[in-house]
Amino acid sequence: MIRGISNRNILDEFAINFCKIIEKYTEYIIVSGFLVISSGRVRSTEDIDMIIKPIQKEKFKLLHNELIKKNFICMQSDDPENIYLYLKDNLSVRYTYKDQPLPEMEVKFAVDDLDLYQLSTKTKLQLTGLDLYFGSVNMNIAFKEEYLKSPKDLEDAKHLRKVYHDTINEAEINKIKQKIRQLRLK
Amino acid sequence: MRNKTHDEFIERWAEFVKNDSNWKSYHTKFINAQYEKFFKFINKLSKTKEGQEKIVELYNIKNIKGYPKLLNKLK
Repeated sequence: MIRGISNRNILDEFAINFCKIIEKYTEYIIVSGFLVISSGRVRSTEDIDMIIKPIQKEKFKLLHNELIKKNFICMQSDDPENIYLYLKDNLSVRYTYKDQPLPEMEVKFAVDDLDLYQLSTKTKLQLTGLDLYFGSVNMNIAFKEEYLKSPKDLEDAKHLRKVYHDTINEAEINKIKQKIRQLRLK
Repeated sequence: MRNKTHDEFIERWAEFVKNDSNWKSYHTKFINAQYEKFFKFINKLSKTKEGQEKIVELYNIKNIKGYPKLLNKLK
Protein backbone atom coordinates (compact mmCIF):
# COMPACT_ATOMS: atom_id res chain seq x y z
CA MET A 1 0.00 0.00 0.00
CA ILE A 2 1.31 3.41 -0.95
CA ARG A 3 1.51 5.84 1.91
CA GLY A 4 0.46 9.11 0.47
CA ILE A 5 -1.18 12.42 0.72
CA SER A 6 -4.81 12.44 1.87
CA ASN A 7 -7.24 14.94 0.39
CA ARG A 8 -8.82 12.78 -2.27
CA ASN A 9 -10.71 14.58 -4.99
CA ILE A 10 -13.77 13.47 -6.94
CA LEU A 11 -11.66 11.95 -9.73
CA ASP A 12 -9.50 10.04 -7.22
CA GLU A 13 -12.52 8.47 -5.52
CA PHE A 14 -14.06 7.50 -8.84
CA ALA A 15 -10.81 5.90 -10.06
CA ILE A 16 -10.23 4.03 -6.79
CA ASN A 17 -13.76 2.58 -6.74
CA PHE A 18 -13.51 1.49 -10.37
CA CYS A 19 -10.03 -0.04 -10.12
CA LYS A 20 -10.96 -2.02 -6.99
CA ILE A 21 -13.34 -4.02 -9.19
CA ILE A 22 -11.20 -4.22 -12.33
CA GLU A 23 -8.18 -5.63 -10.52
CA LYS A 24 -10.19 -8.67 -9.43
CA TYR A 25 -10.55 -9.71 -13.07
CA THR A 26 -7.57 -8.46 -15.07
CA GLU A 27 -4.50 -6.24 -15.17
CA TYR A 28 -5.02 -2.56 -15.82
CA ILE A 29 -3.12 0.68 -16.17
CA ILE A 30 -4.27 4.27 -16.08
CA VAL A 31 -2.61 6.47 -18.68
CA SER A 32 -2.51 10.02 -19.97
CA GLY A 33 -4.52 12.89 -18.42
CA PHE A 34 -5.40 11.41 -15.05
CA LEU A 35 -1.78 10.33 -14.48
CA VAL A 36 -0.64 13.89 -15.13
CA ILE A 37 -3.40 15.45 -13.02
CA SER A 38 -2.66 13.03 -10.17
CA SER A 39 0.93 14.17 -10.45
CA GLY A 40 -0.16 17.71 -9.71
CA ARG A 41 -0.91 19.29 -13.08
CA VAL A 42 -3.54 22.00 -12.69
CA ARG A 43 -6.14 21.01 -15.22
CA SER A 44 -9.24 18.88 -15.26
CA THR A 45 -10.47 16.06 -17.47
CA GLU A 46 -13.78 14.49 -18.34
CA ASP A 47 -12.44 10.98 -18.64
CA ILE A 48 -9.84 8.67 -17.19
CA ASP A 49 -8.10 6.46 -19.76
CA MET A 50 -7.63 2.82 -18.81
CA ILE A 51 -6.00 -0.02 -20.73
CA ILE A 52 -6.81 -3.56 -19.61
CA LYS A 53 -5.34 -6.91 -20.53
CA PRO A 54 -7.90 -8.65 -22.81
CA ILE A 55 -10.13 -11.21 -21.10
CA GLN A 56 -12.63 -13.80 -22.31
CA LYS A 57 -16.28 -12.87 -22.74
CA GLU A 58 -17.56 -14.87 -19.78
CA LYS A 59 -15.06 -13.23 -17.45
CA PHE A 60 -15.95 -9.82 -18.85
CA LYS A 61 -19.64 -10.47 -18.10
CA LEU A 62 -18.78 -11.12 -14.45
CA LEU A 63 -16.69 -7.95 -14.37
CA HIS A 64 -19.46 -5.87 -15.95
CA ASN A 65 -22.08 -7.29 -13.59
CA GLU A 66 -19.98 -6.37 -10.59
CA LEU A 67 -19.53 -2.84 -11.93
CA ILE A 68 -23.32 -2.54 -12.27
CA LYS A 69 -23.81 -3.80 -8.70
CA LYS A 70 -21.44 -1.08 -7.50
CA ASN A 71 -23.47 1.68 -9.17
CA PHE A 72 -21.51 2.01 -12.43
CA ILE A 73 -23.19 2.19 -15.82
CA CYS A 74 -21.82 1.67 -19.31
CA MET A 75 -22.73 4.59 -21.58
CA GLN A 76 -22.75 2.41 -24.69
CA SER A 77 -25.10 -0.35 -23.57
CA ASP A 78 -26.56 -2.38 -20.72
CA ASP A 79 -25.80 -5.63 -22.48
CA PRO A 80 -22.35 -7.08 -21.66
CA GLU A 81 -22.38 -9.13 -24.90
CA ASN A 82 -22.73 -5.91 -26.86
CA ILE A 83 -20.12 -4.06 -24.79
CA TYR A 84 -17.70 -6.94 -25.30
CA LEU A 85 -18.06 -6.54 -29.08
CA TYR A 86 -16.86 -2.94 -28.80
CA LEU A 87 -13.80 -4.06 -26.87
CA LYS A 88 -13.04 -6.91 -29.28
CA ASP A 89 -13.23 -4.39 -32.14
CA ASN A 90 -10.57 -2.32 -30.35
CA LEU A 91 -13.07 0.39 -29.47
CA SER A 92 -13.19 1.93 -26.04
CA VAL A 93 -16.26 1.77 -23.79
CA ARG A 94 -17.13 4.32 -21.17
CA TYR A 95 -18.40 3.74 -17.64
CA THR A 96 -19.81 6.40 -15.32
CA TYR A 97 -21.70 6.34 -12.05
CA LYS A 98 -25.42 5.73 -12.52
CA ASP A 99 -27.22 9.00 -13.29
CA GLN A 100 -24.00 11.00 -13.47
CA PRO A 101 -22.45 11.38 -16.93
CA LEU A 102 -19.08 12.60 -15.63
CA PRO A 103 -16.44 11.65 -14.72
CA GLU A 104 -16.13 8.66 -17.01
CA MET A 105 -13.71 5.77 -17.24
CA GLU A 106 -12.73 5.07 -20.83
CA VAL A 107 -11.73 1.42 -21.01
CA LYS A 108 -10.07 -0.38 -23.89
CA PHE A 109 -8.33 -3.68 -24.42
CA ALA A 110 -4.57 -3.65 -25.02
CA VAL A 111 -4.36 -3.66 -28.81
CA ASP A 112 -0.70 -4.18 -29.70
CA ASP A 113 2.81 -4.80 -28.38
CA LEU A 114 3.06 -1.22 -27.22
CA ASP A 115 0.00 -1.56 -24.99
CA LEU A 116 1.24 -4.90 -23.66
CA TYR A 117 4.61 -3.29 -22.96
CA GLN A 118 2.79 -0.50 -21.11
CA LEU A 119 1.03 -3.12 -18.98
CA SER A 120 4.29 -4.95 -18.28
CA THR A 121 5.97 -1.74 -17.11
CA LYS A 122 3.06 -0.54 -14.97
CA THR A 123 3.93 1.33 -11.82
CA LYS A 124 2.55 2.93 -8.70
CA LEU A 125 3.51 6.56 -8.28
CA GLN A 126 4.26 7.64 -4.74
CA LEU A 127 3.71 11.33 -5.47
CA THR A 128 0.08 10.76 -6.49
CA GLY A 129 -0.79 9.29 -3.09
CA LEU A 130 -2.95 6.76 -4.94
CA ASP A 131 -2.66 3.00 -4.67
CA LEU A 132 -3.35 2.53 -8.37
CA TYR A 133 -1.38 1.20 -11.33
CA PHE A 134 -0.29 3.77 -13.90
CA GLY A 135 1.56 3.50 -17.18
CA SER A 136 5.17 4.49 -16.67
CA VAL A 137 6.10 8.17 -16.67
CA ASN A 138 8.58 7.49 -19.50
CA MET A 139 5.80 5.93 -21.56
CA ASN A 140 3.40 8.81 -20.97
CA ILE A 141 5.99 11.43 -21.88
CA ALA A 142 6.83 9.53 -25.07
CA PHE A 143 3.17 9.26 -26.11
CA LYS A 144 2.47 12.90 -25.43
CA GLU A 145 5.56 14.18 -27.24
CA GLU A 146 5.60 11.77 -30.17
CA TYR A 147 1.99 10.73 -30.78
CA LEU A 148 -0.59 13.07 -29.24
CA LYS A 149 1.33 16.36 -29.62
CA SER A 150 -1.51 18.82 -28.89
CA PRO A 151 -0.52 21.94 -26.92
CA LYS A 152 -2.20 20.42 -23.85
CA ASP A 153 -0.26 17.16 -24.26
CA LEU A 154 3.05 18.95 -24.71
CA GLU A 155 2.35 20.93 -21.53
CA ASP A 156 1.50 17.66 -19.75
CA ALA A 157 4.84 16.21 -20.87
CA LYS A 158 6.67 19.30 -19.69
CA HIS A 159 4.99 19.00 -16.26
CA LEU A 160 5.93 15.30 -15.99
CA ARG A 161 9.52 16.01 -17.00
CA LYS A 162 9.83 18.61 -14.29
CA VAL A 163 8.07 16.72 -11.49
CA TYR A 164 9.76 13.36 -12.14
CA HIS A 165 13.07 14.85 -13.24
CA ASP A 166 15.13 12.52 -11.05
CA THR A 167 13.62 9.28 -12.34
CA ILE A 168 13.10 9.92 -16.04
CA ASN A 169 15.05 7.67 -18.39
CA GLU A 170 15.76 9.47 -21.67
CA ALA A 171 17.02 6.31 -23.41
CA GLU A 172 13.78 4.52 -22.52
CA ILE A 173 11.68 7.47 -23.78
CA ASN A 174 13.54 7.38 -27.10
CA LYS A 175 13.08 3.62 -27.36
CA ILE A 176 9.34 4.00 -26.81
CA LYS A 177 9.13 6.85 -29.33
CA GLN A 178 10.74 4.56 -31.89
CA LYS A 179 8.14 1.86 -31.14
CA ILE A 180 5.37 4.44 -31.49
CA ARG A 181 6.68 5.40 -34.93
CA GLN A 182 6.82 1.71 -35.93
CA LEU A 183 3.44 0.65 -34.57
CA ARG A 184 1.20 3.70 -34.51
CA LEU A 185 2.54 6.17 -37.06
CA LYS A 186 3.39 3.90 -39.98
CA MET B 1 3.02 26.32 -25.47
CA ARG B 2 0.36 29.02 -25.25
CA ASN B 3 2.78 31.82 -24.39
CA LYS B 4 5.86 32.58 -22.35
CA THR B 5 4.07 33.48 -19.11
CA HIS B 6 1.91 30.35 -19.27
CA ASP B 7 5.02 28.30 -19.91
CA GLU B 8 6.64 29.86 -16.86
CA PHE B 9 3.56 29.10 -14.78
CA ILE B 10 3.76 25.39 -15.68
CA GLU B 11 7.40 25.30 -14.59
CA ARG B 12 6.72 27.20 -11.37
CA TRP B 13 3.75 25.03 -10.43
CA ALA B 14 5.63 21.79 -11.19
CA GLU B 15 8.41 23.01 -8.92
CA PHE B 16 5.84 23.67 -6.18
CA VAL B 17 4.40 20.15 -6.53
CA LYS B 18 7.89 18.69 -6.28
CA ASN B 19 8.81 20.60 -3.17
CA ASP B 20 5.66 21.27 -1.15
CA SER B 21 3.83 18.28 0.32
CA ASN B 22 0.72 20.44 0.73
CA TRP B 23 0.16 20.77 -3.04
CA LYS B 24 -2.68 18.28 -3.03
CA SER B 25 -4.95 20.35 -0.79
CA TYR B 26 -4.93 23.24 -3.32
CA HIS B 27 -5.25 20.83 -6.19
CA THR B 28 -8.21 18.95 -4.66
CA LYS B 29 -10.16 22.18 -4.21
CA PHE B 30 -9.51 23.04 -7.84
CA ILE B 31 -10.62 19.65 -9.23
CA ASN B 32 -13.66 19.38 -6.97
CA ALA B 33 -14.81 22.90 -7.75
CA GLN B 34 -14.96 22.08 -11.46
CA TYR B 35 -16.98 18.92 -10.87
CA GLU B 36 -19.33 20.57 -8.40
CA LYS B 37 -19.97 23.26 -11.01
CA PHE B 38 -20.61 20.57 -13.59
CA PHE B 39 -23.04 18.63 -11.34
CA LYS B 40 -25.06 21.79 -10.69
CA PHE B 41 -25.06 22.73 -14.34
CA ILE B 42 -26.11 19.34 -15.65
CA ASN B 43 -29.00 19.08 -13.18
CA LYS B 44 -30.17 22.53 -14.21
CA LEU B 45 -29.82 21.69 -17.89
CA SER B 46 -31.85 18.49 -17.49
CA LYS B 47 -34.82 20.54 -16.27
CA THR B 48 -34.82 22.90 -19.26
CA LYS B 49 -36.71 22.46 -22.51
CA GLU B 50 -34.84 19.86 -24.60
CA GLY B 51 -32.12 19.89 -21.94
CA GLN B 52 -32.13 16.11 -21.63
CA GLU B 53 -31.73 15.68 -25.39
CA LYS B 54 -28.77 18.06 -25.20
CA ILE B 55 -27.18 15.98 -22.42
CA VAL B 56 -27.55 12.80 -24.48
CA GLU B 57 -25.91 14.53 -27.44
CA LEU B 58 -23.16 16.21 -25.41
CA TYR B 59 -22.02 13.01 -23.73
CA ASN B 60 -22.98 10.61 -26.52
CA ILE B 61 -25.13 8.55 -24.15
CA LYS B 62 -26.55 5.46 -25.85
CA ASN B 63 -27.71 3.69 -22.70
CA ILE B 64 -30.39 6.14 -21.57
CA LYS B 65 -31.73 3.66 -18.99
CA GLY B 66 -28.49 4.14 -17.05
CA TYR B 67 -29.47 7.71 -16.18
CA PRO B 68 -33.07 7.30 -14.97
CA LYS B 69 -33.32 10.45 -12.85
CA LEU B 70 -31.25 12.75 -15.03
CA LEU B 71 -32.98 11.68 -18.25
CA ASN B 72 -36.43 10.93 -16.83
CA LYS B 73 -38.29 12.56 -19.72
CA LEU B 74 -36.62 10.34 -22.28
CA LYS B 75 -37.73 6.93 -20.93
